[in-house]
Amino acid sequence: MNTEPRTGQGLELRGLSVTFGGLVAVNNLSLAAPFGRLTGLIGPNGAGKTTTFNACSGLNRPSSGHVFLCGDDVTHLGPAARSRRGLSRTYQRMELFDSLSVRDNIAVGREAGLAGGNPLRHLWATPKERRDTEARVDDAIARCGLEDIAGELAGVLSTGRRRLVELARVIASGADIVLLDEPSSGLDSSETPQFGRVIRSMVEDEGKALLLVEHDMELVMSVCDYLYVLDFGTLIFEGSPREVHDSPIVRAAYLGELETHESGDGESVHVPVGTGAV
Amino acid sequence: MKDLLPFIVVGLASGSIYGLAGIGLVLTYRTAGVFNFAHGAIAAVGAFAFYELRTIHGLPWPIALVIAVAGVGVVGGSLLAWLARYLAGAKTEISLVATVGLLLLLQGFLIWKFGGNTRIFPPFLPTRTVSVAGVSVQYGQIIIMIVAALLAVGLYLFLRATTIGAVMRGVVDDRALVSLSGYSPDKVQRLGWMLGAGLAALSGVLIAPSLGLDASLLTLLVVQAFGACAIGLFSSLPLTYAGGLVVGIASAVATKFGTTRVLQGVAPSVPFLILFLALLVVPARRLAVVQQRPKFRPHLVLPRPVMRLAAGTAIIFLALVPWFAGVRLTSFNAALAVVPALLSLALLVYISGSISLCHAAFAALGATTFAHLTNFGLPWLLALVLAGVAVIPLGLIVSIPAIRLQGIYLALATFGFGILLEKVAYPAAVMFGTIGARQAPRPHFLGIDGTTERGFYFIALMVVLTTTALVVALVRNRIGRLLRAMGDSPTALATHGLSVNVTRVLVFCLAAAMAGVSGGLMASQAGRVGGTGFTSFQSLVWLAVLLIAGRRPILAPFLAAALLVVVPAYAPGSFVNYQTMLFGAAAILATVLPEFNLGGLLARLEGDRAARSPVRSRTDGTATAPAPLPPAGALPVGGLS
Repeated sequence: MNTEPRTGQGLELRGLSVTFGGLVAVNNLSLAAPFGRLTGLIGPNGAGKTTTFNACSGLNRPSSGHVFLCGDDVTHLGPAARSRRGLSRTYQRMELFDSLSVRDNIAVGREAGLAGGNPLRHLWATPKERRDTEARVDDAIARCGLEDIAGELAGVLSTGRRRLVELARVIASGADIVLLDEPSSGLDSSETPQFGRVIRSMVEDEGKALLLVEHDMELVMSVCDYLYVLDFGTLIFEGSPREVHDSPIVRAAYLGELETHESGDGESVHVPVGTGAV
Repeated sequence: MKDLLPFIVVGLASGSIYGLAGIGLVLTYRTAGVFNFAHGAIAAVGAFAFYELRTIHGLPWPIALVIAVAGVGVVGGSLLAWLARYLAGAKTEISLVATVGLLLLLQGFLIWKFGGNTRIFPPFLPTRTVSVAGVSVQYGQIIIMIVAALLAVGLYLFLRATTIGAVMRGVVDDRALVSLSGYSPDKVQRLGWMLGAGLAALSGVLIAPSLGLDASLLTLLVVQAFGACAIGLFSSLPLTYAGGLVVGIASAVATKFGTTRVLQGVAPSVPFLILFLALLVVPARRLAVVQQRPKFRPHLVLPRPVMRLAAGTAIIFLALVPWFAGVRLTSFNAALAVVPALLSLALLVYISGSISLCHAAFAALGATTFAHLTNFGLPWLLALVLAGVAVIPLGLIVSIPAIRLQGIYLALATFGFGILLEKVAYPAAVMFGTIGARQAPRPHFLGIDGTTERGFYFIALMVVLTTTALVVALVRNRIGRLLRAMGDSPTALATHGLSVNVTRVLVFCLAAAMAGVSGGLMASQAGRVGGTGFTSFQSLVWLAVLLIAGRRPILAPFLAAALLVVVPAYAPGSFVNYQTMLFGAAAILATVLPEFNLGGLLARLEGDRAARSPVRSRTDGTATAPAPLPPAGALPVGGLS
């Protein structure tokens, strides 16, 4: 888990395809989310964005293609091993530890990686680890503005706050390749700009590689450096936010129906993560 | 092959009944999303109702059959549907306890009403035989096979070809969609429960002539049904029916070979073996999961000083017990002995969101290891610790299904494993000796004479408090946070770098070791150890009583031990007759009314306080203002998108 700023390839997908039975959810997708860049992945509902994320983090197996982290092929590795190589993520349908306090949620983000696969390190934290975890948790709480609710149980929080706790957990984990799955849906109008500042700072100040799936086009256009556009599992366009905005292909496939999507308050699809939500 | 045929015929007849029980179980699981552990107990109620009507009141058997099956179907089905509605938002391990409670309630009632002895259940179908391919077959067996096959096919067609059948298949996925299409989800699910309970009652009546009228035996019919369901992946009715036939034939054929001393325990355990193996080999993805994401129920977080004060008071109270307990100190000693086992169960169920229904088997192995080691001359305390260590391999075995399976399937796998040990290992001489019991000594150390009740009490209290302190230390440390987190979202833990399987193995080994220590204490307390105290039924009782005692992981095990052993000692002598029934009823209430359990009421008040706190009500009226705590999974609209 490297905290130094890095350059070059963070996450890279080459020719990734994911199928569920006869349904091709992701078709021959290649993309890169290098360090120091905030990369966006957009597309209409059902385009295969979350499926792509699940394949990146090892929650589903691609039928063909490869996933690379920092240049290493990790396609055969499980979620935990990938995470220990610096990958972490949030979930469209949030996966918080409801019965833990906000503070403990964020701490577990770090401690899970420290414990890893070693049964002895599961049991207790060394004093050094404890100090390190405390410092990271304090930092993450401050950056996400969660000081006032640090002692609350995560399960009783509003959706917007829960999203921020998930983000703080990822920050505290120290992961330098981060996948964010619709992190702004459910955030209120004051939380969204703060959220944008936090993720920009992760890229600009720490040089992390971020891959963002998002429906809030205003946010996407303002924070992303580079965009990939998916439709029916296929990459239809890539380029800067400006180029994407001006592209007739994208407009036809996606932006044309933007209004209907945005008014719908994100997605209300209830599909459990790991079963291949698309 | 020729000499196998008679066994196959017997197996086909009993297998048809297992198949019927299995499809009833799958039907209710698939329509209501609640797995009914009490399916076999309902079968027993059907058989007893038939017996009462026919043998005692002298009704002709067809009328008795119709009344018993329809009565249990309608009344039992309605009650189950009512119960299941309350369990919809509960965690699987909690809703499981409700049906375990129902099992205890029904079985306790039958034993109280009819006594625990097996009664002869006169056959009602013709017993005359006909020769088929050189094998003499009873007409009754042929009738059973035909009726079961017709019912299975009829139910399959009903679900496939009729509108109400289609609604029934869909209702568990999306109640809202069903009500939009003009059907009442409640009515549809009630129909499912009625059919399921009716099938259970029918299978009970059909199996009783060959099994005898015995509430415990008939209740265990459910495990044969579990085996059938596992083969049918808990979703396919035809495969479940075929699974029933497989279980029946395998059991019957095993009786032919299981005549040697070594194998004699194998034949009766074939259904459990099939259940355990099926759950080990079938792809976990293929197993039907009809559980919605449970509602989050906040637990009460007490301030540290309050916890310390409570713990201090409790310890002082425990230290004073010998001065007021009098002759009942023996019961307190027995209660202390069971505390580590209940603590480890609480660690599994309340903290790590896992489950074990073979805890009594863990304790049994600990007990016999303790007896062996002390007989070799090892010091008492060392033998007790090693008794815990010796059970760790068993914990390892059980963690194999725990890695693959969660919720109801893990419960079934551990239950099957527990019964397997009970049938195969307990009778072996190495476990409890050739006379079914082993001597176990009382302790004598630190100048305390454990042969007196008072001396044993203090030694046991020291062991129990040490174990508790260990658990508290673990829970407050990293492993405690990881286990709680695992109960909420193993996925998120894995994507943050934790090898969740290592965590699962760890917690099962720890739980097994603690249960083993408990077994050693129980053996030492009683002075002897036999298999009868460690049945799988006992595992069910432990889990039910733990839940009755509330959901605080440290307090509940102590209260549960008191409920289990101390309360009956103070109650009037006739209490033992009602004990199982009361535990069952209380377990149902404790699951259905979350505020019923001790501490739950406070937790609810705490939840209300949280609801009023500024954090949760912070919305500023924008279009995307978050709904106040939408219970995850409460509005599944997956089918609409």
